[in-house]
Amino acid sequence: MSRHLMNRRSLLKSGASAGGLALAGSVIGTPLIAQTRSLKVASYGGYFENSFKEHVFPAFTAATGIEIESVTQPNSTDWLVTMQQATAAGTVPTDLSLYARDTMIKASRLGGLISPLDMAAIPDASNLDGYFIFEDGTGPIGVGALSWFSAMVINPNEVSAPASWADFWDSSVYEASLGLSKNYNSQLLDIIAATFFEGEATFATEDGIVALIEKAAELKPNVALWWTAESQMEQSMKNGDVIGGQYYHDVAQLMAADGFPIQSIFPKEGNPQDYGSWCLSSLSDKGAEAAEFINFTSQPSTQALMSRMIGTAPLVDASVTDLTPEEFASVSGSPVIRPAYEAYLDKETFIKESWDRMLAGA
Amino acid sequence: MTAVDSTRTGLDAAAPNLRRPWGTWALGALILFLAVTPFILVIVISFGQKIEGAGWEWDFTFANYQRFFVGALWPDEVTFLHLQRLYYALYYAVIASVLAVATAFPFTYLLTRQSRRAQSCWLVFILASLSLSEVFIVMGWDVLLSNRSGLPMLFEVSGATDWLKRTGWFEVLREWGLANPRNVKFKTSEFATILTMSYLVWPYAVILLYPALSRLDPSLTEAARTMGAGPAKVMTSVILPSVKLPLIGSMLLLFVFLLGSYVTIVVFAEPAKQTTAVAVYESVRGATLDAPFGAAQAVVLLVTAALFLVLAQWLTKRSEAR
Repeated sequence: MSRHLMNRRSLLKSGASAGGLALAGSVIGTPLIAQTRSLKVASYGGYFENSFKEHVFPAFTAATGIEIESVTQPNSTDWLVTMQQATAAGTVPTDLSLYARDTMIKASRLGGLISPLDMAAIPDASNLDGYFIFEDGTGPIGVGALSWFSAMVINPNEVSAPASWADFWDSSVYEASLGLSKNYNSQLLDIIAATFFEGEATFATEDGIVALIEKAAELKPNVALWWTAESQMEQSMKNGDVIGGQYYHDVAQLMAADGFPIQSIFPKEGNPQDYGSWCLSSLSDKGAEAAEFINFTSQPSTQALMSRMIGTAPLVDASVTDLTPEEFASVSGSPVIRPAYEAYLDKETFIKESWDRMLAGA
Repeated sequence: MTAVDSTRTGLDAAAPNLRRPWGTWALGALILFLAVTPFILVIVISFGQKIEGAGWEWDFTFANYQRFFVGALWPDEVTFLHLQRLYYALYYAVIASVLAVATAFPFTYLLTRQSRRAQSCWLVFILASLSLSEVFIVMGWDVLLSNRSGLPMLFEVSGATDWLKRTGWFEVLREWGLANPRNVKFKTSEFATILTMSYLVWPYAVILLYPALSRLDPSLTEAARTMGAGPAKVMTSVILPSVKLPLIGSMLLLFVFLLGSYVTIVVFAEPAKQTTAVAVYESVRGATLDAPFGAAQAVVLLVTAALFLVLAQWLTKRSEAR
């Protein structure tokens, strides 16, 4: 074959390869822009994640074109262990995770797990109270997503609504009949601090903590169930094994709507409010998409959407949302007890061991 | 021996120390890695150090073991919280395994006296029930012992609750923690915990006792009967001595199996009577992220189980020597 002579076959070959290249270029080139606009978001599994998938993620994709891949996380603390191991292994299952405040602080103390957020790309976070934007030494690492109350619940067929948490100490009404959370940091101590002591300040000294735990010990004869899983308390309320206790306000409202004998109450001391924050994995390269998503959930309209569809309390002022007073009352209440998060972390072993001794009578 | 075999033997003889030792060595290393690495990891982690408010780091400290025996607040205060949990782990495991073997023994004995066909039907049924996980069994008993769907409802509807209240027995049950002011209650209680645990291992007890009891020579009992021994005498002097070892063996196996049971304890035991296995899980996966203390508790549980097995071995050997 001479270089002057190009036969038909070689012409076809070169033509095809040029065309192929162009074709390949178009295949790789065009969808490249659309494909990068995606984000993996983890949320607590079950009812919670389903509501997100059904109502929140589609609204976000419609508004921004960013596809969301939903990832199931069991809760905050177990997920932190998973993310810690995944980060050490160099690949993580999600970009954004939902951490409760204590887990987020713990992750920040562990270090290397969460990336700081670009707050300039999250202008709508200004709708949130500053308390819900958590900063550590590296910058803002968590923006509040939604909040829930750990409320007082009773069976209205068995007892009338108490005015105060102190009523639960009355054995003539509640002997062997209450369901309380077994975990040392599940906010019963915060409730006791608000009801009988000086609130969060009581956690400042070890003597104060011991006094709180001793007060909790007086409740033991009235407790039929120290629950560790949410479902245990749900079943026990439904079955009548317990007639009152401590449970999540949002789930209690759903159960009441389904006709089960449960009433969620805000007594005069209030209920503890906890909240989940969006935190960006240190290994994620989707910082821009994550910022857009966090910005979207910070908007009053999204907060109202979550209140209506998931039953969580909004983190923005109710007045800037279009929630009716009835809708707001069904997801929130006042006053609010703020848990002593830092004390639970700084005196972790002391509180856990003292609490466990109290439960075990050791 | 065929020609092929002799050829292969010849080849092996030609290259004796190359292929087989290497393969054996690799297989041994793999088994060692799979079997021993998790143990070593747990033991090494148990010497790690907890960082307050965060995770833990590698270290070499005995603090976790010290905490197990005298509590985290030592030397200001001595607490036996963790020893108490170990005690309850042993307590439940001993009672439940003895109970399971004691009730499975007469059942299995009668089973071996049935026709071949009836025996295989029962064995298939019992083997199949082993596939139920602990979670399902606990869920089932949970429903059976619940106020509105189980035994307490039966008490109420049948009038037994009212009868108990009239006779004053209800007050006794309240003192025992088996009633609230409205009705009897079986959760949370030792009763429910032990019942579920022995139920859980009962099929294993049958399967473990079956071979020994079915091999029992009927002529022995027949001979004893013809010599004038009553059924009770036959049981105590002929049958029980000849199956003593399988009885003790199955009890031990079930005991070790039950030492680590988790779901039953979490659901049916009150926090004051929970076990080391639950505490291990709470340390490793709970809010404190205290893997070193969890590992130390696991090591203590492991050593306890091993001690019991060695002790049992020694006792059996001694009684056999006599």
